[in-house]
Amino acid sequence: MKNTDATSVSSPHDNHAWVHDVLEPDQLAAAKPQFGLRKLGAGTLLLLWILRIYVLLMILLISYQVWKAFHAKP
Amino acid sequence: MKERYHLRLPAPESLKDLPISQEDLKRAEDRRDVKRHREERRPIKLFWLLLGPGILVMLGENDGPSMISYATTGATYGVGFFLPFILLTFAMAYVVQEMTVRLGAVTKKGHAELINERFGKFWGWFAMGDLAFGNLLTLVTEFIAIRAGLGFFHVPSALSVFGAFLIIVGAVATQRYWTWERIVLSFAVFNLIFIPVAVLAHPVPTQIVKAFFSWGPIPGGVNASFILLVMSNIGATVTPWMLFFQQSAVVDKGLTPTDISHGRIDTALGALLAAIAAIATVLACVPLFTSHVDASNFQGADFAQALVPHIGSIGASLFALGLFEAGIVAALTISLSSAYAFGEVTGRSASINSPIKENLPFYAFLLAAAGIAALLVLIPHAPLVFITLIVNVIAVLAMPPAIVFLLLLVNDKEIMGEHANRPLGNVFGIGVTIFLILAGLTYGILTIFPHLFPTS
Repeated sequence: MKNTDATSVSSPHDNHAWVHDVLEPDQLAAAKPQFGLRKLGAGTLLLLWILRIYVLLMILLISYQVWKAFHAKP
Repeated sequence: MKERYHLRLPAPESLKDLPISQEDLKRAEDRRDVKRHREERRPIKLFWLLLGPGILVMLGENDGPSMISYATTGATYGVGFFLPFILLTFAMAYVVQEMTVRLGAVTKKGHAELINERFGKFWGWFAMGDLAFGNLLTLVTEFIAIRAGLGFFHVPSALSVFGAFLIIVGAVATQRYWTWERIVLSFAVFNLIFIPVAVLAHPVPTQIVKAFFSWGPIPGGVNASFILLVMSNIGATVTPWMLFFQQSAVVDKGLTPTDISHGRIDTALGALLAAIAAIATVLACVPLFTSHVDASNFQGADFAQALVPHIGSIGASLFALGLFEAGIVAALTISLSSAYAFGEVTGRSASINSPIKENLPFYAFLLAAAGIAALLVLIPHAPLVFITLIVNVIAVLAMPPAIVFLLLLVNDKEIMGEHANRPLGNVFGIGVTIFLILAGLTYGILTIFPHLFPTS
């Protein structure tokens, strides 16, 4: 839930029927549904970890490139 | 049958009792116009109201380092392989970005928010960390482009950087998504300034047509610098911030499933315009290739200076203005994408429609991201050249995990229902992911074994 404690929030008694008319219910800041956690299969988790390791390895490679660039002979 | 998300919404009668925030009111005003024009069957006005996120994300990605990359491409390889290749990269960008339109319109949640909710805070913070790091480096390069572009007109560095920061402050101070979007769109139109610059370079039409059909020539053949430029051109088109920005902008704009077709047209139009501007930048720098100018170490304003003898001072001035435009549009959009992700991961309102006094951390994060980047550019002897060169490569390397999250989300029938990816969408999506992973691995192999490919 968002913004429900905000000072500029209108009271439900204000005439905002037109807002409900043009916005879909889940567009209201106070009515957004929580989808909840999705159960991840072993294959999906493995894929996510492989990609995370891939990114970390590539960051190491970039760091090596940075080191090389700073120590390159002019 | 899995439970569909809309079944978990409050009952319709209780919705009327919910409080309406300022954010809701502003979004409702925009949607009221959309509703009216849809009912009155005014397609052009309706499209005018609904366009924005797609064009902005594509022209925003034609940013400082991207334009330098395209300029280097034109100066190094002339008219040849890279013209159709750039078109291909924008087609890939469309495939990826179209999915974010559907996700945002159907779930009404930003990309970081969905990763957080569906995969948990652990993966949510990882995604946010990748984005924040990549965005900070990219923002630095945008300020470099702004400084280089205005430096051509002898504007002092501090003044150009501070002026650009003030533009960012002014745009978000509107506290209205619609106004912010129109301000940025009015800057983004100037990305097409590279078209007259290309015309001034007198490209040969038959060479261009031949290049599109033959995917060649590749002067010097496939070597290490060619592969790095391929990587750089991919990184100039398909990057993680684009996913986060467009999905959140779709939500902030208030698009719904009814608007998905307009969102697709908006994204396709953006991709087309950005591809035209990118190819125009390549063509504008072809005279440097034909006169054998070594542009391998050129930075922003160097291209404009070197082009003066070939396209005149007016053409060079337009090129420099284009660099400024590329930098400022990207700085505006990328800083907002960081703030959107921050708001979504921390459970705050992630909307530029929210009032500053109620959502101070969101605006503070946005301005801090832009402010830190601006200050870094002004630090004497900072390794700015290296950051510019490496930023597109980092984008390519960080993209595969981001696309995998995107594919998992867009195939999640529990949240997407009938708008989930179809088999053909997955073929394209998985194809782009594999392509990007292979590009990243090639870069890695090239770094470890630099002599595997010829160096020149």
